[in-house]
Amino acid sequence: MSAETFMGVPREKIDWSPRIDYSKCNDCMECVKFCPHNVYEVKEEGEQRLVVKNPSNCVVFCRACGKACGVDAISFPDKSGTTANIKKIRKGMEANE
Amino acid sequence: MSKEYAILPCNGLDKCAGCTARELAIKLAEETESEIICPVFYRVADARYNKLANEKPLLVIDGCASRCASRLAAEKGLKIAKKINISEEAKNAGIVLKTDSLRLGETEKLLVENLADALVTEANAAEQTQEADFFPKQLSYDVYQKDKFIFRIPKEAAFFFNENDVWVYVSGGKARIGVTDYVQQSLSDIMFFTAPNVGSELSQFDEVGSLESGKAVFEIVSPVSGTITKVNEDLLNEPERINQNPYEQGWIAEIELEDFEEDKELLYDFNGYFPIMKRKVDEFHV
Repeated sequence: MSAETFMGVPREKIDWSPRIDYSKCNDCMECVKFCPHNVYEVKEEGEQRLVVKNPSNCVVFCRACGKACGVDAISFPDKSGTTANIKKIRKGMEANE
Repeated sequence: MSKEYAILPCNGLDKCAGCTARELAIKLAEETESEIICPVFYRVADARYNKLANEKPLLVIDGCASRCASRLAAEKGLKIAKKINISEEAKNAGIVLKTDSLRLGETEKLLVENLADALVTEANAAEQTQEADFFPKQLSYDVYQKDKFIFRIPKEAAFFFNENDVWVYVSGGKARIGVTDYVQQSLSDIMFFTAPNVGSELSQFDEVGSLESGKAVFEIVSPVSGTITKVNEDLLNEPERINQNPYEQGWIAEIELEDFEEDKELLYDFNGYFPIMKRKVDEFHV
């Protein structure tokens, strides 16, 4: 179970979760073992076994699983863009109150 | 006392005032971490003392109105942090220094005693003020308890929190940061602290080091933007200090703030963070 909001903004409105570069991923699954928030899922079969199943479970601004990735296949959205977006949504919410 | 001076005294041994200046220098060197510069040797070979004179604040002790020690400091281009003149101090204290002997009498010894005490007390007070100005000596907490686990949050108004469970204490343009009790309790025994680099510049929400326990790795997400000025180096050998108290001995780093008013928009105060932490604790323990 993860937070439904971040800084008062509904979590699903914040685009923050790992992006997997499948050309680099070697299916070692270290990221899956690392992340305690159930963000990833491992599929039994298929080309792309590792998937981001629960992007909203990802802790906003946490990039720690990326460091567990030996082949550097995980990236995250631009942090300052995300920050600006959160501020913008908050301003919009305040205006609607 | 940890205040350290480089002491440049008059030790003109032809006058009682000079002998008293010398005695005061010795007493200060004994009672503090200060070091004495021998003016006679300094005059002829300054290489021996140049490093010391430039590294520590310079305390000049003149014996009489000739001010030989001050003049020597000027001649060597040294910046004087503090000056004392024994003859003037004696006059202010209503003491007449001996003229018939170079040996210090009870009166001179008492003057040395009083001047040394005043200097030590003054240095200590300055040091404490500096510390107290920036970070409080004692914090008051509100506590949330779940089973045997205790989660404290400091109530001081200068504390702010991001939703990544990192606190910042702000005072003027300076800040100290650390993690909250929620982090140290969830990680359990912290075994490793990766420090940020002093001098590095951060944006808000950048990584500012990490913590590792047997259970997980926690990326410390900076609540503020600015430049790292200091890291709690005690944590490198004793990361368990974070488990003991992440707000006091377990603080992480100090930061020269860039734009706190801007950062504050995405931070909570005590009242905002407390319910968030409670919710996290409840969910974590489900």
